[in-house]
Amino acid sequence: MIQGIIIYYFGDAMVLLETKNLSKSFDGLKALDNVNINVEKSKLTLIMGPNGSGKSTLINAVSGFLKVDSGKVLFEDKDITNKEPNEIYDYGIVRTFQNPEPLKSMTVLENILISERHIGEGVINALFHSKWIKKEEEMVEKAFKILEFLKLDHRWDHTSKSLSGGQMKLLEIGRALMTNPKLIIMDEPIAGVAPGLAHDIFSHVIELKNKGLSFLIVEHRLDIVLKYVDNLYVMFNGSVIAHGEGSREIERVLNDPKVIEVYIGD
Amino acid sequence: MEEVGKMVELISLILFFFGLYMIVSLSLNLEFGYGGIPNFGKALSVLTGAIIVGGILNRLLIWYFGVSGDFISASSIACYKLTEIIIQNPLVGLGVFLITIAMAMIAGAIVGALSILPSAKLREDYLGVTLLAISEVVFFITYYDVRIIGGYYGISAPDILAFIPGEYKIYAYTVLAIVTGLIIYLFLERLLNSPYGRVLRGHRENEDLIKAFGRDIMKLRIKTVALGSALAAIAGVIYVFYSSNVTGNAFTRVEWTFYPFLILLLGGKGNNKGVVLGAFLFVLIRILIEFYKFDIKELLHLPFEAVWIQYIFFGVLALLVLCYRPEGLLKEKPIYTPPIKSKLQN
Repeated sequence: MIQGIIIYYFGDAMVLLETKNLSKSFDGLKALDNVNINVEKSKLTLIMGPNGSGKSTLINAVSGFLKVDSGKVLFEDKDITNKEPNEIYDYGIVRTFQNPEPLKSMTVLENILISERHIGEGVINALFHSKWIKKEEEMVEKAFKILEFLKLDHRWDHTSKSLSGGQMKLLEIGRALMTNPKLIIMDEPIAGVAPGLAHDIFSHVIELKNKGLSFLIVEHRLDIVLKYVDNLYVMFNGSVIAHGEGSREIERVLNDPKVIEVYIGD
Repeated sequence: MEEVGKMVELISLILFFFGLYMIVSLSLNLEFGYGGIPNFGKALSVLTGAIIVGGILNRLLIWYFGVSGDFISASSIACYKLTEIIIQNPLVGLGVFLITIAMAMIAGAIVGALSILPSAKLREDYLGVTLLAISEVVFFITYYDVRIIGGYYGISAPDILAFIPGEYKIYAYTVLAIVTGLIIYLFLERLLNSPYGRVLRGHRENEDLIKAFGRDIMKLRIKTVALGSALAAIAGVIYVFYSSNVTGNAFTRVEWTFYPFLILLLGGKGNNKGVVLGAFLFVLIRILIEFYKFDIKELLHLPFEAVWIQYIFFGVLALLVLCYRPEGLLKEKPIYTPPIKSKLQN
């Protein structure tokens, strides 16, 4: 309550996700070295950096796919450090993967439906259709709305392996939307996607951001992504080396000699 | 007339084993076909059913009738005493059958749940090999330790259909196996055409994704393998009652693990109808080869013993299916729950 009032009066943004001195080593090699980032509500936060800088390690750690050695991950002020991915999902965090991960032999609709937990997934409940049919009807309706929003509705009954690379990325976003998340973490959502479709994907992202969703994104294609970003973190060798918030600050970060050096060095 | 009788007996034998393999293969289809869990320890579940009859039911009977002596001899006496009662009162036979099935399902579920625990640390190939190893260890202990189910000596089992005259008993067991198989088929069709079936297929395709979307995959695996093992244990019980005895070497990995996998490959994994078809074709071919193996050897001038024809044939069949029809005879279909079906019709 008090925090809300402070945010309202002082124009500060509400921090949704926060990492505090997050560290992770692999055989002595520091993949994350005291990383501190904030992801604010209804903002698009980008993490950039050359290959091997620790970006994917960071989002794997935040989403529970990797256990950290020290530091904390807080989500809405709750400690979610080293929790299992399925527990982190319960807080309203979903993620997409660097390579699209469609359930290939399943239809596009099934791919969307599977992202939300269902009462009919219990062995006993599954036998009694009356227990889950209403929920299933609601979910199917919702899934079709999402597919329409992503312009994938005409392919709902096709197997997901028949989708193009860009459509698979959209499917990943669709799956995330199905869960009513608070935060969507995306690992290279437009890698390998044609520029036109990449902008389409980000126009969907911005539309969702304006509806109150928050995004934490790792992406290499800065020519496309930078115009949509609210917060920017630059990582190198497992550390955050620069941070900017708002277009002017982001501009400053991009012209920071340290940032230019790591990119030229790359 | 004798020829006709032999033919009817042959058909009955085919249908009986069709029923048994339908049960085991459907249970494997739940675990592997839908869930992608490589349960190479399937034979262990069937063996569990056999242990419940030979090791537990027999001991209960020995205790109930107060029979003394060594376990193998006492079992024979206790089984004979129960058989005498069943001749007078068929309901006792039915009751013993149902109680044994219930005990086997519980034991199967426990064994299945425990055997899948290594999957917390192991994935696919390693898990498959570990499950195979667990199954083999139990198989050899059961075979060499005569105290469990008589080991290599074997042990008697009660004749639960003792009230049926001898020549008709094989038909009764055939009906029992087929009806049980069909009930399990209907049960699994209902169970799997649901969000549970969907999440199982999701687990098969990409377990990390399922985890990212909030599923506890260990719980999912445990309940799936527990159920699959409980169902397979039923086949072990029926087989032992049919044989009226149980020996440790009857539950080999070839018979009850590899052949059910072959049935899945042949019929089509993830498709219960395909598995039923696969089980029928497999049993038909197998028993025909068994009956006519010497004729086949002579006809084709085969340079090896007739006993190997079956293994060679099924080995080659598995390779051909994997190369030319990896999806099996009947391809897997999407899960259409009633709301999805109505979208399909619109």
